[in-house]
Amino acid sequence: MTAKYGWFLLAPPLATVCVLFVVPVVYLFWVSLHAPSTSELYAASLTLHNYVDLLRDSFYLTIIGRTLGVAAVILGLCLVIGYPVAYFVAVLPPRRRMLALLLLLFPLMVSNVVRAYGWVALLERQGVVNTTLRDLRWIDAPLDLLYTPSAVVVALMTILLPYMVISIANTLAALDRRYEEAAQALGASPLRTFVHVTLPLSTPGIASGTLLVFLLTLSAYVTITLLGGPRSKLLVSMIYDSVTAFQWPRAAALAFVLLALALVFTALIVALLRPGRVQGTAR
Amino acid sequence: MNGDMADVRLVGVRKRFGGVVAVSDVSVDIARGTIFSLLGPSGCGKTTTLRLIAGFEQPDAGDVYIRGVRVTSTPPYRRDFSMVFQSYALFPHLTVAENVVFGLRMRRIARGERARSVDEALELVKLGALADRYPRQLSGGQQQRVALARAIVVKPAVLLLDEPLGALDKMLREEMQVELRSLQQRLGITAVFVTHDQEEALTLSDRVAVMRDGVIEQIGAPRDIYDRPRNAFVASFLGASNFVEGNIVAREAGVNVVETPAGRVTVRADRPIGERVRIAVRPERLRLDPIDGEGIPARIRDVLYRGPVTHFYMDSAAGPLIAYRQDARAGEWSIGDRVHCAWDADGAVVLDEAPAKRAASGEVTR
Repeated sequence: MTAKYGWFLLAPPLATVCVLFVVPVVYLFWVSLHAPSTSELYAASLTLHNYVDLLRDSFYLTIIGRTLGVAAVILGLCLVIGYPVAYFVAVLPPRRRMLALLLLLFPLMVSNVVRAYGWVALLERQGVVNTTLRDLRWIDAPLDLLYTPSAVVVALMTILLPYMVISIANTLAALDRRYEEAAQALGASPLRTFVHVTLPLSTPGIASGTLLVFLLTLSAYVTITLLGGPRSKLLVSMIYDSVTAFQWPRAAALAFVLLALALVFTALIVALLRPGRVQGTAR
Repeated sequence: MNGDMADVRLVGVRKRFGGVVAVSDVSVDIARGTIFSLLGPSGCGKTTTLRLIAGFEQPDAGDVYIRGVRVTSTPPYRRDFSMVFQSYALFPHLTVAENVVFGLRMRRIARGERARSVDEALELVKLGALADRYPRQLSGGQQQRVALARAIVVKPAVLLLDEPLGALDKMLREEMQVELRSLQQRLGITAVFVTHDQEEALTLSDRVAVMRDGVIEQIGAPRDIYDRPRNAFVASFLGASNFVEGNIVAREAGVNVVETPAGRVTVRADRPIGERVRIAVRPERLRLDPIDGEGIPARIRDVLYRGPVTHFYMDSAAGPLIAYRQDARAGEWSIGDRVHCAWDADGAVVLDEAPAKRAASGEVTR
């Protein structure tokens, strides 16, 4: 296959990506640089106000902070809970590992909307948790569980955990057990073998799981809307609110703030974990 | 052998995986400062034996001793050994120097001493210049040296080598054999070497154990097991051999005369007259004489010129025969020629096993 034919084959998908992704993103950025208009998509005058206002307004800064905080907590929980589960899955024999991964995927087959309402039924003032606690006489008045950042964290975390587990489990399962044996042959206890060999060699899985969980948290909408309510809004909800208020340029600017956060975080993870350094075979 | 000098001792070790017996009642003593080879075809239990010494496998019965200490139930990381893996298993996230220092860090050696030892070890394997490279940036031969440096730097009681040269090409492998041998002798390391390559085992070892189906068939110095194989398996695993069967008709001064279907031959042995035996003769011990000479009459079926040696394939009444000649001149012997095959009594050995009662009594294995 010559390079000429290669380009020929690449042309249709490249054109599709250009027309359906690059052009709209550039256009959206163009929109974000204009003042709002009551009758048009945006006013004629060019301005940086949309961005400046966002970064000056403590309301928006609080929401950006809350978004990052929720994402960080979800990420931390997914790592702490996900890694041991992934390790357990990875050391299973191949057939059982397949089965375990399928079981992990099973919750993803239920719509997020359905699962969010499930959490609502559990957490609301007359929900399962509150009535049970009251019946046990552990509480007198119902707790405010729903419409809190904690509700968002718990619900999103349970949705995103499989992504983390599957990412790490795949890396661990592909890891040559000889590395661990080599470490033990050199006098490393199981704990030190894990810290010095297994953990660093699983960074590709940690990195991909971390990115998946973080980026999916940033872009989640249904779960945070149903469980966060009007008091615990995140960045995505603000984009939705701006759109429904016909504030197209501000919605566009918010979208780019979100994109910037995602890009910075991705760069940070790649620089920090350097997943590329462990790629290469034992030979 | 004096047991106190044994760095590794296996006593009646057995290991089975499911219904398969991998190692069955293996007992060996490996003397300090020697290379001991476990040689055999794949699946013979040699690697399992090595992993039992390392502690990666637990024996079902028997005991493992390292430097006189019973380590049968000691986990690998508390045993005094290091290992070179067939795939090297160099840590890909660490540089050459970091790989080599790993064992010293795990043994909590002081920082200054570590650096000195690492430099020394890398110097020994001639890799000082590559200390900051990552394993993936090295050639197979260089990775092999790093694996070796990483294993010897901790000065283990025993160095375990699992087919360490298997992944190298023939030239490099022979070079590394010589290097490994001189390194081992300079450092006085005790080493256990697993290989399926008989030449490698003969070149490198002080003693060789030939294994089959989890059992050690024969233990001895390379020359012993090559020249005096106990049975047909050992004889043929260590290279080609001629097998001839017959009855002993004379016994005199440690030499037996054997009556074969093709004539009388001699063998250094002291068996009673009348016993039926199977004897083995190495192809290079076989002489080709003109038709009026002594020995077994045979007819040349094939001549294979192999450079330094020429292989002659022959048929005789005692079965097919093969001879290697170093000094065969072009045209001296050719296909169809009638010759006599003879050997000195010292060149032949009586095998332990009783020959099968078959009409066709001879065979050649390669």
